[in-house]
Order: sequence, then C-alpha cells, then structure tokens
Amino acid sequence: MSEALFVVEDLTVTLPTSRGPVDVVKNVSFTVDRDDTVGIVGESGSGKSMTSLAVLGLLPPGGRTAGSIRLNGEELLGRSEAELRGIRGNAISMVFQDPLSSLNPYYTVGLQIEEGYRAHRGGSRREARKVAIEALERVRIPDPARRIDHYPHQFSGGQRQRIMIAMALCCSPELLIADEPTTALDVTVQAQILTLLAELQAETGTGLIFITHDLAVISSIAQRVLVMCEGDAVEYGTAEQIFSDPQHEYTRALLDAVPRIDDLIEEVAL
Amino acid sequence: MTRYVIGRLGGVVVILLAVCLFTYLIFFKLSPDPAVMICGKTCTPERIDSIRTVLGLNQPLLTQFWEFLQGIFAGRDYGTAHCSAPCLGYSFQTNESVWTMLTARLPVSITVAVGAAVLWLLAGVAGGLISAVKQGTWWDRSAMALALTGVSVPNYVLALVLQYVLVVKLQVLPFPSAPAFADNPGLWFESYLMPWTVLAIGYACLYARLTRANVIDTLAENFVRTARAKGLQRSLILRRHALRPALTPITTIFGMDFAGLLGGALITETVFGLNGIGKLAADSIAKNDQPVIMAVTLLAAFFVVIGNVVVDLVYTALDPRVRVTSA
Amino acid sequence: MSTTPTLLEVEEVGAPTSGPPTSTQRILTRLVHDKAAVLCLAFLLIVVLMAAFAPLITKLSGWGPYEFDSSAVNSALGGVPHGSLGGISGEHWFGVEPQNGRDLFARIVYGARVSITIALSATVLTGILGVVLGMLAGFYRGWVDQLISRVMDFLMAFPALIFMIAILSSLPAGNRPVLLVLVISAFGWPYLARVIRGQTMTLANREFVEAARASGAKDLALVFREILPNLRSSIIVMSTLAVPGYIGTEAGLSFLGVGVTPPTASWGQMISSSVSWYSVDPMFFAIPGAFLFLTVLSLTVLGDKIRSVIDAGEAA
Repeated sequence: MSEALFVVEDLTVTLPTSRGPVDVVKNVSFTVDRDDTVGIVGESGSGKSMTSLAVLGLLPPGGRTAGSIRLNGEELLGRSEAELRGIRGNAISMVFQDPLSSLNPYYTVGLQIEEGYRAHRGGSRREARKVAIEALERVRIPDPARRIDHYPHQFSGGQRQRIMIAMALCCSPELLIADEPTTALDVTVQAQILTLLAELQAETGTGLIFITHDLAVISSIAQRVLVMCEGDAVEYGTAEQIFSDPQHEYTRALLDAVPRIDDLIEEVAL
Repeated sequence: MTRYVIGRLGGVVVILLAVCLFTYLIFFKLSPDPAVMICGKTCTPERIDSIRTVLGLNQPLLTQFWEFLQGIFAGRDYGTAHCSAPCLGYSFQTNESVWTMLTARLPVSITVAVGAAVLWLLAGVAGGLISAVKQGTWWDRSAMALALTGVSVPNYVLALVLQYVLVVKLQVLPFPSAPAFADNPGLWFESYLMPWTVLAIGYACLYARLTRANVIDTLAENFVRTARAKGLQRSLILRRHALRPALTPITTIFGMDFAGLLGGALITETVFGLNGIGKLAADSIAKNDQPVIMAVTLLAAFFVVIGNVVVDLVYTALDPRVRVTSA
Repeated sequence: MSTTPTLLEVEEVGAPTSGPPTSTQRILTRLVHDKAAVLCLAFLLIVVLMAAFAPLITKLSGWGPYEFDSSAVNSALGGVPHGSLGGISGEHWFGVEPQNGRDLFARIVYGARVSITIALSATVLTGILGVVLGMLAGFYRGWVDQLISRVMDFLMAFPALIFMIAILSSLPAGNRPVLLVLVISAFGWPYLARVIRGQTMTLANREFVEAARASGAKDLALVFREILPNLRSSIIVMSTLAVPGYIGTEAGLSFLGVGVTPPTASWGQMISSSVSWYSVDPMFFAIPGAFLFLTVLSLTVLGDKIRSVIDAGEAA
C-alpha cells in the first residue's frame, strides 16, 4: 500500500527558552490522506500549533526539529529555506486563528490573494486578479469583483476567515492546515466556516489538519483525531473510537469537561 | 471629506488666535513699556506720549489686540504711515517692517530644515531598517549604541565641538555665512553642511531607534506570519508587508518635527550664526523687541498647527482603516 | 533637535497591559542582572548623591562653588588656569574656571543639584498633570475631553522653546528653579496626557471596568482602582524617558542664558561660558559636557532597559 499523502513520524520540536531547550512536541506521529480530515485536539500549550508550524518550517528562531515529515513520500525536514518557500502556500497552506490580525490592514484583500498566487504561479496582475476573484467566489463572498478592492477592516469576522481560506486555497494545495480557524468567531459563523471547509474539501480532495481545543468542533468534521497534552501524543484514533471509547485518562477528562445538555437538565431537575 | 478639512482649518484658526492672544497678553504684562524702548536715549515725555498715540498703546488691551489682528488681514495705519497687509508692525529696534524681516530670514530656516530632514531621513530610517533586519548582529548592536550616544549629546555641544574641530583646528570648513545659493553654490553648501549635520545627527539617531523598534514589532505581527506561510520571498515581505505599517507612524512624527523646524532651529542657528528665524527669535528676545517676538511666535505656531493638519491628512491617505470612505 | 521634551518621539507606548501589571520588583530584579543597566545605575547614583550631599561634599573637597581662588589662575595670561588640564590638582580635583578661579568640582557638584532637582520635579509635575488630565479626558469624554484636548492642542502648538526663553528672560530673577520647573512642565504634560487619554479610553471600555461599575463602584474609585494600575507601565516608561529630556532642556535653557541665574552653577551655563576658552582650556568645556552627556546617556539606557523589561513582561 502506498504511503499516505502526508506523514508525520516521531516529530520532536525543541524550542530555546530562558530555562534551556524545551521539547514542546515529543515524538508525535500521525498521517493524513487525500480528502481526509485529521483533528488535533489539546489545551493551550499542548504543542498542537507548534506541530503545524514545524511542518512549514515556521518555528521561532532557534527552534529545532527531529523526526520525519513527508509529503507524497518526500522529506520536508531539513529542506532549505528556498525549497520550503516553494512549498508554503503552494503544496501546503495554512489558515490561522485571528483573521483580523492575520491580514495586512494596509492592503486590499485582492492584493493579498494575488501575491500568493503570483509568488508560485507567476503570471500577470490581470490573471492573478481573475484567480483572486474566483477564489473569493468559491468561499461565497458576495459581489467578489467589487469587494476584491476592499480592505480587511471592511469585512466581517466570518468573511475575513473565508478570505484567509481563499488565500490558502488559491494555489490548490494538497494539504491545508487550519490552526483554530473558528475560535475567534461566534458559533453561527463557526458552523458556516466548518461547512465551507467540508464543501471545499469535497471539491478539491485536499487533506485537512484541523487544530482546535474545541472537541465539539472536532466531532463534526474529523475522521481521525490526535489528542495532545503538554507535547505528547496522548491518543490517536478514529473519531468514533476517541469519542465512544477513549483510552487515555486525559482524553476522558477532556470529554467530561464538555458541558452536555443532559447533564445540565439533570442538575436543574435536582 | 471637505467638511472634515474645513472643520480642521477652523480649528487651526482658533488655535492660532489663542496663541496670538496668549502671547500678546504675556508680553503686555511682562515687557517694559515699548514707547520707552523705541524712544531710546534722548527722550522727552512728549515724545513718549506721541509714540504711544501712534502705536495705539493708550487704548484698552483688547482694542489693541483687535487692531493687531486687523493689521494682519487688512493692514493698518500708524499715525500717517500705512502698513499694508499682512502687517505685523515694525521692529522696536530697527524700525524695519517685521514682515520683511521674517520673509528675508525664512529661506535660511527652510534651507536648514530641508537639508537636515533629507539627511536624517536617509540615515535614520535606512539605519533603523537595516538594524531591524539584522537584529542581534554586531551591526545592529553598534548602530544602536551609536544612536544612543547621538541621542544623548545636546546638539549645542555637538555644534560647538564640530565647529571647533572642522573650522578652527582643521580649517576644512569656513565659518558659516549663509550666502544665497545662486551667488556662490560652493560656499552655500559649505556653510550649511555643519548645521545640517548637527541637526540631522540628533534626529537621525532618534529615527533610527524608532524605525528599528517599529520594524521589529511589525515583523512580529500576525500578518507577517501569514505572508511567510504563503511562501513569499523575504525581500517582498519586508518591502510590502513590513515597511508600510512600520513607517506610517514615523511619517506622522516626521511631519511634526519638520513643522517645528520650519519655525527656526533656535539653538543651531544661534551657535552657527545663521540668520534664520530661530536666530531672529533669540536676538529679539534678548532685545525685548516685542513685535518681532510676537511675529516669530505666531509663525512658528502657524507651521506647527498646519503641520498637524497635513500630518492627519497624510495619515488618512496612508492607513486605510482611518479613511473617511463610503464603503 | 529642540531641547523641549518632545515625548512625541518616545516610541509609541502601545496598548495598555492586558495582563497583571509588571511589578516593580520584577523590573528591579531584571535590571540588576544587566551589566549595562548596573553601570548606568551606578553613575546615576553618584550624580544623585552629588546632588543630595553637595554642601557636605564640597566641605570635604575644600572649595565651595562661589569662592574665587585667584591664585589658581594666571591673571597675566588673561585668567588661564595654572597647570595642565585646566588646573587639576590636589586642591582642585577638576581644576578651576578660567578668570575667576572657582573650583570646578564644586560647581559640577552643585550643578548636579540643579539639574537633578529641576528634572525630577518637572517629571513629577508633568506626571501628575499628564496622568490626571489624561485620565479625566479619556474617562469622562464629552465636553471635559473637548476642553482638555483643546488646551493640549494649544500647548503643543506653541513654540515652546521660544516661549520659555521669552518668559524666562522677561521675568525678574526671582525663584528661577521653581519657574523653570513650572514652565517646562506646562509645555511637557500634554504629551503624556495624550497617551494616557488614549489608553484610558481603551481601558474604560473593557469589561472589568463595566463589572466594577455594575457592582456599584463610584467613578473616582473606578478611575483610580481599576484604570490607573493598568496605566502604570506606560507612566513608568514615559516618565523614565522624560527625565533625560528635561535635564537636556534645563541645560539648554541655561546654555542660552535664561536658566538658573549666575552665580548658581549649572552644567549648561558652564558649557556656555566655556566656549570662549575652548582653545586654551578645553577641560572647562569637556568636564561639564561629559557629565551632561553621561547623565543623559545613563538615563536613556536605563529607560530603554526598563521599557524592554515591561514589554517582555506583558508579552509573556
């Protein structure tokens, strides 16, 4: 059987701190297939974001990695900066948590999408603009031909996140990493974004890594789940396994912490 | 938009009026009798009286102030002499029209300001940018140590040292004399070189530190992280994503600093003996030449207030979030 | 660069603290471990001690700041001090002033007194005015804000240097130091107030203020107990960086002859007098110049360090 699209094997990330080097990610392994969604769940500080940054080589200065990260069988760790640049935004894209601060307020959204496209595909500004308009359409931004010249502050939070997603998908990446993309949004908008991601994935067959601390969100979109705690991969399995039969006590604690309506009803009834 | 500009200009007028009134009051209270001053040595009470009448000094304060304001816009009459608009009065010392004195000296101050500004922007901003990009390297550390030193030296000390070394000891430059550019370009350049350098050093060091801090902060922003995650080239990220946000606040500060300099770099001009507005201010204060002091104060305030408005307008042009647009 | 304290040029003190304010304890501990900061603190301590104990010190060194020692200068040569380096000797540790033979060490020590007292008082006064008025404007908004902001605009539009010189030169020689402090503070507070006003406006909208208000806290209590602690780091940073500016301003005004009246010693005034003696007695220029430079430098470096500790504390 050929290897999965994206393989992370025994990944260890070490960051320099004032107290000496600290392993913030310890021997983490997981795989992502085409059209597959893997959710990474954990609290703040569990190392889930660092894992994703390590994939793209975006660790803070002084950070080191060990282990293996492979896309289509090719090793990513140890690649040169130039090679990594070719991969970022191209084969592997990332969407971040706070869309307001993740977009440059000084430039139009059109420019910010176009520059990503032109960095990898070249082409004229006119072509890039067409691609950008299409990208906006794909993420259901109304009136894209006009709004492409608007600035980030002129959009709502949900729309900004869609724009981030459009930006990430404009070069048809094979893998999309979404780091807490819905955490800064309200619940209804959250649902819209999740639906959008699912639809886009179905259209393009992109692999998706979805990082969050919110179990409820994971349960609705992930096929497989990796639970992280303080840098360790605590549990890894299919969504059904994790939710119905958690093996590790940390996973169980996480699940228990989710407020459930039947528990609340019981409490109130008492 | 036009409403905004008109509103701001209205504010400008109000503030200038306030500055004018305040200055007038202070000098009214504090200065010795101008009539006595003009009269000079051979004075008689009758002469003093006639001078007071001509100058309108016997009238209530506010009437005097009102006539002063009128003079600026419509000209006024001093006895039989007519002083055309804008009338800022006549110097108590030399009897020259104050307006003429100002316009004669303004080019010097402007030359000093512009030359220094060019130097300090180039050195300061470029230096700060390079330091930020090379953060932590020996270049960064030495540049910032130099900047720290430059910020801590009082500019008159620097002026004196430079003048001593370059003019007296090494005799590389002449004592500044500020000829017109057309007359003697070489001498013009040599004359202004030291004042430019002295002024520029202080500001350049300040701007280098500012720019470095701003660029470093901007590079830590989330949108720069996004730009990296898109696989953009480092130079593009710097040029496009880091520069605009980092430099926009500096434009504001530069506008205010430059406006302040247009009103005359008092200390620099005095030390180098350049006949600009600054030196005029210092001299007229020393001699208690009221009309000139008033005019210089007004002029300096005018530049600052206008500068404020210009800076705000420029800022709205640069920062899309601040624009008064109809989206 | 004008010697007015343009706190405009202090790097924008960003948003107010999001977490608990950095404790003074933390700042001090961090500073003690930084070599440069320790050096600066040491030098500043010397200067402050000089200022505080000036009379005692000059008693020890033997000469007061106003005493003339004509034996130390060569009146035949126009008043040049005897000996090299401006007359440095066991008698006069820093040498003497040309012509009048006053002990330079004593004058430096008393000059420190002038510089430190005026700069510190101006910083305190500016601090009080700036914080109180800034908070009032930012908290109450409306006409209070309009009024205070117009006054601030007015003061900032004023060519402060010209005005300071004009006022100082036309007033009688009475209590100069007090006057200097008042004039410097009058033009300095708007810059601090502006920053405080902005941050107060941001903070006043925060939830914790609403919560306090909902639990019945009166306005004054809100302002002082909820908002003020969060402004602390901005206040510390801006005040620390204002002190060197005010030292420079006082020195500049004294240099121009409108500062403290002679025979009171001031570093700026000494520099001004030293100009004509430059070629024969450079030490007369170098010593006050060096003290002025090093004091401003130490304060600026310290201010930088404090600010980076505070920033790091907030980022953590």
